Parts: sequence; structure tokens; C-alpha cells
Amino acid sequence: MSMAGNLRPGSSFRDPSGFLFTRGGVLYRQVNRSYRAAYDQLMESGLYRELVDAGEMIPHEAVNVAPAERSLAALVVRPDPLDFVSYPYEWSFTQLKDAAGLTLAIQKRALARGLSLKDASAYNIQFHQGRPLLIDSLSFEPWKEGEPWVAYRQFCQHFVAPLALMAHVDVRLGLLLRLYIDGLPLDLASRLLPWRTRLRPGLLTHVHLHAASQRRFAGTAPASRTSARMSRNAILGLIDSLESTVRGLAWSPGGTEWAAYDQSHNYTPGALEQKRRLVRGYLQRIRPSMTWDLGANVGSFSRLAAEAGSTTIAFDLDPSAVDVHYRRCRVEGEKRVLPLLLDLTNPSPAQGWNHRERMSLAERGPADAVMALALVHHLAIANNVPLPLLAETLAGYGGSLIVEFVPKKDSQVQRLMASRQDIFPGYTLEGFEQAFRQTHKIRASERIEGSERILFWMERR
Amino acid sequence: MSNTSLLSEAARSFLAAPPAYLDPGSGSFLLQLLLAGILGGLFVVKMSWSRIKGFFRRMFGRGQNPDEHGR
Repeated sequence: MSMAGNLRPGSSFRDPSGFLFTRGGVLYRQVNRSYRAAYDQLMESGLYRELVDAGEMIPHEAVNVAPAERSLAALVVRPDPLDFVSYPYEWSFTQLKDAAGLTLAIQKRALARGLSLKDASAYNIQFHQGRPLLIDSLSFEPWKEGEPWVAYRQFCQHFVAPLALMAHVDVRLGLLLRLYIDGLPLDLASRLLPWRTRLRPGLLTHVHLHAASQRRFAGTAPASRTSARMSRNAILGLIDSLESTVRGLAWSPGGTEWAAYDQSHNYTPGALEQKRRLVRGYLQRIRPSMTWDLGANVGSFSRLAAEAGSTTIAFDLDPSAVDVHYRRCRVEGEKRVLPLLLDLTNPSPAQGWNHRERMSLAERGPADAVMALALVHHLAIANNVPLPLLAETLAGYGGSLIVEFVPKKDSQVQRLMASRQDIFPGYTLEGFEQAFRQTHKIRASERIEGSERILFWMERR
Repeated sequence: MSNTSLLSEAARSFLAAPPAYLDPGSGSFLLQLLLAGILGGLFVVKMSWSRIKGFFRRMFGRGQNPDEHGR
């Protein structure tokens, strides 16, 4: 949608309280008149200040800028910009759990000041400088004693159901969030969860009974069924119950300890140190402000990009690695690295209404620099991607490229080829260089000692 | 807060509540209302219990550092 130089992101259309627009490359949020009173209460009650000071909500500034739709407008605010937008289906278990915990913590603070969250969408949370953050300043409404929580269903669909499935069935079920854009249907979650989860009061209530209640009362007006009210203690009790339910959901990455992850490679300590030194040197010359580390594992090389001053998105296919990496960043207070779950052979698509609500991975790029270390064999051999296609795709993700060629002789490649025919005659160093020269200029390359692996620094043509 | 501003707060929240754009879902609404008594009761018990624990903790001289039990 474009109106007189304003661009409206495709995700900002549901809530009549206002919407986002960009003008001249700056992101603004129009607050509509229908939301004016709630906005004033958010600001005047002290809730906004409390949340911003606690680092739980993105700060914004009221600005004197012409609104995008004058007939509806009360005011325009400019939120602090985010480095990168990520989605719940790209988060690891602990990231989704932290986002859930934040949502409930905010709801408690809101209730204490006479407000309540009117939505509890996981998409309203973003990871910013190492922490989850509420990004929607239009999410609050005045709460009157007696009213149930309007966003209870949404909270259960976006957080409780997927976390329960990840913890009690399989962590990969978090990817169902990619399929169900408004969270998991509770009847589906209830069917998929093992019977024993009915013995847990939290899951019994918020998933199983909740699904049954939805089935039982579908299409009836709540007022006609009961004159009950939700007292202050009842709504606080609901939030408290949701908190302990979420807290009680646990998942450990494959039973492995953090350290085990760093050792699943082929390098001698000397070779590893040399590889680090080379990557660090290339990064110092590239000086990226945004780096995508593809196949980052637990992020030992992502850390080098962060140290070089770059915001770094550390993608990996393995939910365990991403979770270990996120927990490590959280413990160490690493603010510049954001670990995310991504299958490069099937990256996050553009989806939602008109394919415009959630951006594809490519739309969120390009980065300044892309790192693809110990990765190409997984794509070229395990996934049969021809090298020229691989070069072209990596060129699309970013201008500078630090890439490692892992030859067929390498034991990791031998492992991938163990059960299949060698249909990759072109997978040689010469073939690799030839393919990449079509899209890139090779700026530097060096063999990693004690191995056949070669590290390249390339720039897109 | 003065009486007039209290009044205007109340008036505002009644007259100009923002539109509820999410469908809260009948089942989700009713479940909360049906469980309101239990949820509220458990919450009161839990809060009282933590007050009792806090009382004894203070009485026996533990928990002098308020951060000790924070998150």
C-alpha cells in the first residue's frame, strides 16, 4: 500500500488503533483517534516509562510529522529502529519461552496500572540487543474489573500450545507456527499432546480444557451463558497460572552440554586458531555492520563478527545448536548476536495475507557480509545444489562473502557421501572457484593448515 | 491524583475504550469466567502463603537481603 510517499508494511492492518508506515526510509506509527484515550493512559499512568526503563518495551518518540491517514489520526510516533525482524517460527524453544515470559510480565505490570494487553501475539515481540522486547505500543487497553483477558486465547495459541508440543512431543513442532500464522489451534495441540499432559494442571486448563471449551461454546455469546465476573484476583490468578505453566515447560538440547557442540568439527587446535585469525582478518577489512552467519552452529565464528562491531544474525538448522547459542548469548550478555533457526534449503517464505504479513528471509536482506563456514558441502552434496546456483544465492544474501570450501576428501564430506553415489564430478576446488567467479571477485584465499579446506574472502561483482 | 482527574480517567476509559479488534472467542472467555473462582482463590492462597513464609523468614533473621529471593 502506498499513499503519497508513505509505505505501509503488509503486516500492519489488523488493529484499527493505528498502523505503521515508512516515509523517507524512517518507520513511524500512526496512532488513531479511536486509540487516543488508551494511548494517553499508557503514557500518563507511568506504564510506558516503567516498561521502557525495564527494557521490556521499545521506546518511541512522539514526532511532529504529517500522519499517513489524516482522517483517522491522533498523533504520530517514531519507534526506535530494530536491527532485524525475526519471527516465532525462527526462534528456539528458550527464545519462545522468554518471549512468553515477557508477555506475561508486561501484562502484570499493565494490570497494576489499570491497563491490560489487548493482544498477546508472539509477533509483537522482537529480539533486540540480546533481549525480547514488546514492539507494539498500541497493545494496551484500559482494564475494568470483571472483564476476562481478551488476549487469553491468543496467548495460548502463540505460546502455551507450541511450547507444550516442543517440550512434550518434539522440539521441531515449533515449526507449526510457520503454518498457523495466528498460533496453533488448541484442538490440534490437544490432540497431539500425550495423554499424560492432562495430569498437569496448567496444560489441562490452558490447552485441553481450553480446547474443549472452544468446542462446546463455539458461536455462543458469552454474556448469555454466565453472569460471572473476573475479579482482580481471578485475572491475576490466571496470569500467575500461565506463568507457572510456561515456567514448567522445559526442553534440553539433545541432552548435550554446551561444550560438546564446539567439538563436532575436524580441526586441530592450531588449525582452528588459524581459521579464526583468517576470519577475523577478513572481517576487519570488510567492516560489516550487518553479518549473516549461515550454518553458525553455536556461534563461535558469529562472535568474531560481533567483536568486529557487526550486528550478527547466526542462523542454524539445528534447534539444539540455536538454543544452546541463545542461552550462551543470554548468559554472557552478548547483545550483537541473534541466533535463529533456519533451514537454508527451505528458508522462511513471504507469507500471511497477500504474502505480505511476514517477510521472507531474502526480503530482510541483504546483509553487508555473509559467512558460510563448513557449509557448502551440506548444500552442494547433501542437498544437490549446483555450485553456480549456490554462488548466486549467497550473492543475493550479501555483498561480502567469507566462504569455506570443503573438498571431497574431507571426512565430513565422506560421511555425507557414505550412503550415496558420487554424482558430483564438478565438486572440486577448480569447479568451486569457477562457479563463484561468475558472481564474485576473489579477494583472498588461504588453505587451513593440516586440512584440505580453503577459506575465501570474496566480493560480489 | 485529584478528584477531577480521577473522574476524567474513569470517563475516558468508559467512553473511549479502544475497539476490541481480536475475537476473544466465546470458549476462551467462558473458560476464564468458569474458572475465575478457582484461579482467584488459588492466587489468594498463594499470596497469603508467601506472606506467611516471608513473616517467618524475617522472624528467624533470614532473607535480610531483599535481592536474595528476587529473580
